[in-house]
Amino acid sequence: MRAARIQPTGVERSFEDHEIIVTKTDLKGIITYANDVFLRLSAFGEEEVIGKPHNIIRHPDMPRAVFKLLWDTLGQGEEIFAYVVNMAGDGAAYWVLAHVTPSRDASGRVIGYHSSRRRPDRPAVDAVKRLYARLREEERRNDLNASWQLLQDELAGRGQTYEEFVWDLTLGATR
Amino acid sequence: MSDDILSIIEKVCTRVAAGDFENRVPKLGDDPQAEATRQAINRVLDVTDAFVRESGAALTAAADGRFHRQFLPRGMRGAYAHSAVTINRAADAMRVKVEEIEHAKAARFDLAGELESAVQSVSEQLATAATEMGATANGLSQFARDAVADAERGLGSVGALRDSSDQIRKAVSLITQIASQTRLLALNATIEAARAGEAGRGFSVVANEVKTLATETASSSESITNQVSTVQDSAKGAIRVLESVTESIRQMSELVDGIASAVDGNREPGQPGLSQLAEVLRAEVTRFVAKVRAD
Ligand SMILES: Cc1cc2nc3c(=O)[nH]c(=O)nc-3n(C[C@H](O)[C@H](O)[C@H](O)COP(=O)(O)O)c2cc1C
Repeated sequence: MRAARIQPTGVERSFEDHEIIVTKTDLKGIITYANDVFLRLSAFGEEEVIGKPHNIIRHPDMPRAVFKLLWDTLGQGEEIFAYVVNMAGDGAAYWVLAHVTPSRDASGRVIGYHSSRRRPDRPAVDAVKRLYARLREEERRNDLNASWQLLQDELAGRGQTYEEFVWDLTLGATR
Repeated sequence: MSDDILSIIEKVCTRVAAGDFENRVPKLGDDPQAEATRQAINRVLDVTDAFVRESGAALTAAADGRFHRQFLPRGMRGAYAHSAVTINRAADAMRVKVEEIEHAKAARFDLAGELESAVQSVSEQLATAATEMGATANGLSQFARDAVADAERGLGSVGALRDSSDQIRKAVSLITQIASQTRLLALNATIEAARAGEAGRGFSVVANEVKTLATETASSSESITNQVSTVQDSAKGAIRVLESVTESIRQMSELVDGIASAVDGNREPGQPGLSQLAEVLRAEVTRFVAKVRAD
């Protein structure tokens, strides 16, 4: 996979306030649609991403625990807001505030997933970076279970769910 | 633009118009105008898709009371952004209403709690007071009965005193009569002794003594009669007082019985006593408070 060959360059890019990055996936997370903003930010051509797993833009700084939370939440048929850093095809990084939701057919059955991402605010990103760095460290030294536990403890310490944590940062930063 | 391309666009738009947002216009070849048109249509679909997901989720969250989850207007423009703000404002108004309701509910709970503990303490005090009053009333009744009995015994004693005074008076008048006859006899004896001369001298001394004794007896009898009269007057007064005391105690006894029946309430059916009333009040308020709490 291409993601395995690309190395982060330390370059960070961003997008406009009025733009949203959109992708759709099937139930396994295979990309079925990507909008023009996604292609611009990720520096991929359309034919390079359609049919590929979404981890094609996975950044090594992203803790696995956050993706576990994402898939657990989607598995319960619920929406999730998450701060995510992605890595473009050219090694650049870009932070997003992702809103990932199940897509349902007329009978209410989940048939795929959808993600709309907004430009996040710097203070929120800085706060999230600190938490994610600790989770990554825990994953390097131990395993996913340990970092999952650390995430739970961290949130419990704040008396928040991940959702509340994200909204606190989001509204706190834009207010 | 070729008919093929237009037909593809028509199909996608028709499906999306039917509410199926999983459709997007696929790549339409190399024509830059076709690509630009495709991107423009897909942008409309993306923003509408996002708006539909966001508005539904934001309102669901508000309905669930998760007011922190808003519709972030970022990424939306024009009417989309405006509607996002409108939805947030509606959710905020809901939040304010919910808080008001919660506030009113909390106030109602507090009031109910205060009422409950007030009634609890009133009914406890009432029950205690009723018990004490009942015991006191019973004690008073017994006391009144004893007092009436004592007074009646007193009346008997004073009556007996009056009777014996009468007998004393009769005895004394008999004595008075005897004394006056004795004085008459002594007088006659003195005369007879004088007529007997020297031989009657000794007898004359005795007769004189007897006369003096009779006179003293008569005056003693009179003083006894006077004292007996005084005793009788006193006895009459004592009887009047005792009778009025007895009457007062009888009336008091009736009042005490009235208190006892108000407290116990068991004299007449359908007339609960104080303790039962306190218990009824407490039960009613408990029921009321439970209902307030359940609402
Ligand atoms: C709709 C949707 C969008 C996703 N978007 C991203 C994304 O932008 N970046 C990312 O790293 N993972 C994204 N994921 C999660 C990936 O599927 C994957 O779980 C993640 O990259 C971790 O990959 P790994 O388990 O191979 O490390 C998305 C998943 C779904 C369902």
